[in-house]
Amino acid sequence: MPFKLRLARTLRRWHARIGFAALIFFVLIAVTGVALNHGAALGLDSRYVHAEWVARWYGIRQEQPQQAYRTESHLLVAANGRWLLDGSPTGEKMPRPLGLVEMGDLLVVGGESSLHVYRGDGALVDRLDGYALPGFPLKAIGTGGGELVVQTPDGPFSSADVLSWRPGAPKVVAWSIPTPLAASDREAYARRLAPAISLQRILLDLHSGRFLGRFGPLFFDVVAIFLTILALSGAWMFLAPRLRR
Amino acid sequence: MPRRLLILVLGLCAAAQALGEVYQTPEAFVAEVFGTAPAPRVLWLTRELQAGAAAILDHPPANLRQRYWSDGAKSVWILEDIGKEELITAGFVISQGRLDHVRVLAYRESRGQEVRDPSFLKQFAGAGLAQGDRLDRGIDGISGATLSVHAMERMSRLALYFDRASRN
Repeated sequence: MPFKLRLARTLRRWHARIGFAALIFFVLIAVTGVALNHGAALGLDSRYVHAEWVARWYGIRQEQPQQAYRTESHLLVAANGRWLLDGSPTGEKMPRPLGLVEMGDLLVVGGESSLHVYRGDGALVDRLDGYALPGFPLKAIGTGGGELVVQTPDGPFSSADVLSWRPGAPKVVAWSIPTPLAASDREAYARRLAPAISLQRILLDLHSGRFLGRFGPLFFDVVAIFLTILALSGAWMFLAPRLRR
Repeated sequence: MPRRLLILVLGLCAAAQALGEVYQTPEAFVAEVFGTAPAPRVLWLTRELQAGAAAILDHPPANLRQRYWSDGAKSVWILEDIGKEELITAGFVISQGRLDHVRVLAYRESRGQEVRDPSFLKQFAGAGLAQGDRLDRGIDGISGATLSVHAMERMSRLALYFDRASRN
């Protein structure tokens, strides 16, 4: 058998073998690549995956909620940068809460550097931080005389509308303090408050191979070499007969 | 892998954050416009206003109430929107239903800072709302900062839309 024919057969055979063996990875790279290319339009950076096993896979230590903030009719539990307000998640990357108070139809959750104001149904009304706060860091929040009261390093400040502040506080202030959670509740809430990992990051790690661990990128380097071999062998098989003519 | 990867990602995030810059605080901007800052007011976003804001922003507004400052003649709106991945904070001064001037107060993206150049921002001066709550003039884009330019346009429209609603 002539050498060129043997070479062509060998090339074709290995072209098929490599193509089949790496099929899953090629599809994975292609799909994740297309998704990442349109990441902004797909809102990948604002979508999160909440799964205990994904967090474990990434080595993210899962925090178990130990305490809750309660008002007469509302409950806030927080862990892993997430809040459950009356059982509903309120968003991602939330600060550690300092307290929860109820002011008429509004609920206010205080953090060290922000106040989140919610309607009774959980809709976010306003978020106050920086210049909108009377001081930093906030140390505690409470209510007194129908006003919201925040404790700052410069003393307490009060607000009737969670908008404008006056120095000082009413004589009697009910500061929001946490209450411990029962062990069974801690586990139940921990499942619902699993750490969030952005979909964009997961796709990026799948695309680069980092999702598979330390040797993932090296493995994907091999896949890339396979892809190069496929392209070259494909080109050879396409061009060689035409060049011979 | 995961721990090192996490450290790498956190490091990159920290570096990206460091690139973000606050040029002027909102309170300084408000004080500059009014001399002494008046007490803030709020515009409550009714369902109709929420729908209008969502149509302008291409996403629902983050809050149900919007703070602003006004002395009767001028109003100041501090708004935030995402350019590509990070929030841009901008201040809008509106007088008689038209933009008096616009300033980028904080820019957190790694690229596209050109939107804070006065030569770009002066295009907004005098702009008002036309039919469909669009700006009544075209804004020239900036190569490499397209998404930030779009964010600035959206926020300008929103500020004018809110100003109109606050006066009704």
